[in-house]
Amino acid sequence: MLGATVLERFAIAVASTLLALLLGSLVVAASGYNPVRFGYALVYGAFGSLSNVAFMLRQSTMLILAGVAVAVAFRAGVFNIGVQGQFVVGGFATALTVLFLAPHLPGGALGGVLLVCLGTVAAVLSGGAYAAIPGLMKAYADANEVITTIMLNFIASGVIFFLVNGYLRPPDAVAPNTQPFPDYVDLPSVAFASPSFSVIGLGIALATVVVAYVVVNRTRFGYDLVTAGHQQAAAAYSGVDPERNVVATMVFSGMIAGLAGAVFAVMILGYYSDPATFPRFGFDAIAVSLLAANNPLGVVPAGLLFGSLDAGGQYIDFTLNIPAELVDGIIGLVVLFVATPELFRMAGRHTGLGGRGSKESRSGQPESDGGDEA
Amino acid sequence: MSVADFSRRHRLRIGAAAALLAVVVVAALLDLPGAQLLTVGTAERTLRSATPIALAAIGGLYAEKSGVFNIGLEGFMIFGALAAAAAAWMLSGGGSITQAQLWFGIAAAVVVCSVLTAVFAVLTIRYEADQIVAGLAVWFIGLGFGPFVATVIWGGVSSPVLPNVDNVTVPGLASIPVLGRLLFDVSPLVLLTILVAVVAWVVLYRTRYGYWVQAAGENPEALDTAGVDVNRVRYASVVLSGALAGLAGASLSIGFGSGFTGTGATMVDGRGWIAIVAYLFGNYNPLGAFGASLLFGATDMLQIQLQTIGVSLPSSITELFPYVTVLVVLTLVGYTRVPDAVGEPYETEE
Repeated sequence: MLGATVLERFAIAVASTLLALLLGSLVVAASGYNPVRFGYALVYGAFGSLSNVAFMLRQSTMLILAGVAVAVAFRAGVFNIGVQGQFVVGGFATALTVLFLAPHLPGGALGGVLLVCLGTVAAVLSGGAYAAIPGLMKAYADANEVITTIMLNFIASGVIFFLVNGYLRPPDAVAPNTQPFPDYVDLPSVAFASPSFSVIGLGIALATVVVAYVVVNRTRFGYDLVTAGHQQAAAAYSGVDPERNVVATMVFSGMIAGLAGAVFAVMILGYYSDPATFPRFGFDAIAVSLLAANNPLGVVPAGLLFGSLDAGGQYIDFTLNIPAELVDGIIGLVVLFVATPELFRMAGRHTGLGGRGSKESRSGQPESDGGDEA
Repeated sequence: MSVADFSRRHRLRIGAAAALLAVVVVAALLDLPGAQLLTVGTAERTLRSATPIALAAIGGLYAEKSGVFNIGLEGFMIFGALAAAAAAWMLSGGGSITQAQLWFGIAAAVVVCSVLTAVFAVLTIRYEADQIVAGLAVWFIGLGFGPFVATVIWGGVSSPVLPNVDNVTVPGLASIPVLGRLLFDVSPLVLLTILVAVVAWVVLYRTRYGYWVQAAGENPEALDTAGVDVNRVRYASVVLSGALAGLAGASLSIGFGSGFTGTGATMVDGRGWIAIVAYLFGNYNPLGAFGASLLFGATDMLQIQLQTIGVSLPSSITELFPYVTVLVVLTLVGYTRVPDAVGEPYETEE
């Protein structure tokens, strides 16, 4: 997709999503459910009430943050599939910081702000450090980062479950959960009366988008990062150390993933638990980033779209009894189609005169002629 | 292959061997009773545990040898595990499942995964999809639709407890010490895997078709000039990788396991990814991939062995051994020499 223009990317993203939803509806119908009720419930679950909107925005906040983490790495040609693991590690660092420092700091609003800030710093640092491992392995041992990051996801989950279950779980607790954070450690609710969503969380996500965009597009570091991703030789010629660049990219990506972990721990959970039970934001974020053509700004609409799908999916699970996993499958289909822009280019060419594909072809075809150089 | 290239690879092998030796030395220093670790039971469990990894690895290496990186093995294994359990269960009408029905389930898994990989092959070969991203998509689709389909069939993300395939016991030979238990009283899937590894080796290195597969990945232009349809060779190799991944998945759910589990990362638990590392470690040689799978199988089984000899490590930690081993192996071996044309779509110039 790197050679395509913005308009063509947009057309492909829209067409991929629609095609995936269409296939999802066919699966729904084939499984004996009513696809019209499915579609209605999907939309109602995301936008039907104020609390549904709050839930949708909460999922979107997480997907935007994790999506930016994925995007900055993909932008540099590094496949960070380990955002989930870095997110889990970051959240755990936040939980440790909050639980261990809370007795030593003043309570109330001041203590809350302090603990949230310190917890966030811990998350950012530990997320970056955890991402440095596959970065170093790729840079200096030529180990494929797709596989190392996936292995590190499993390892993060297993080790943190072991620590939470064995050392942080109160003796009388049934579930493998830590103590809850003190009440004052939370992002205050503004506008929505939801215990697990705060507009401040969404604000952090949007601020992160802006920072990532500026870093990628307006700084020396970002310039090196993107050139190294697209033109190895040119980057090396201009004095970029490719090994160091890979590590720096992973660390930058992991720091954002760690921040996502902090928001998850503070805003959504308010305690810490078995990471195997957490939502797979880090994986869905890969779809978010791809749909956004790995552009940090594009992650916002893509994150909102997948946040809506996610919220709608959970709604259909408990109202229509259609398993929410269906939405995960649909997200997988979106990734598959986004990976295959040629499918839509060909469809556009073949149905150039009217028909279902005319919208894609009209916006896609003229650009594809000029944009094929990559 | 140049001399420098060879020596580099050689050095990595030596490094890997040194690492294994280090593990043994550490075990000796910690005074672990080695004799109790290396029992016939361990060997048998290792073979079983290696089976799904080896099957997926051998398929994956054929695909990559031919020029298509099938990184979706994990996803195809999920579909295989589900299809096998679902087909056997449906055929029995929800009652007790016979051995014949189990074998039908295994066949169904192979067919289903072959069809799915055919679609994957069309997208990557004909429509030139990004192989890494499309492979990840296959994984996500498996993680989503696997439990979804299970819920539609069984009303929950996992199947009820299902029986598994009986061992093959050769009367008489089975009573030979050690070998008898390993080879003559064994799951047919283990024997099948050994057979697949040997046949895959012979075909790849001793037949004309094997040379076509290698040429499709190394030098597609030359193969094209010789009048062989490059993409047809690639389609066949990718579909083979799907068929074997299906078999691998089936071996997990109804070969050795007791049905399909759809929770967490599903019952495949990263074995598809480990399979990729297994064939890299085996340097794209089917027998090497089988050997590497045995290594991962052994680390997977280590937990049971440690428990039986009374070394108390929590299972949440011992379960991580295979993943850590993958990291160690990948760091030592790095990316072995990938076939030249992997990831590049081939278009004939007519």
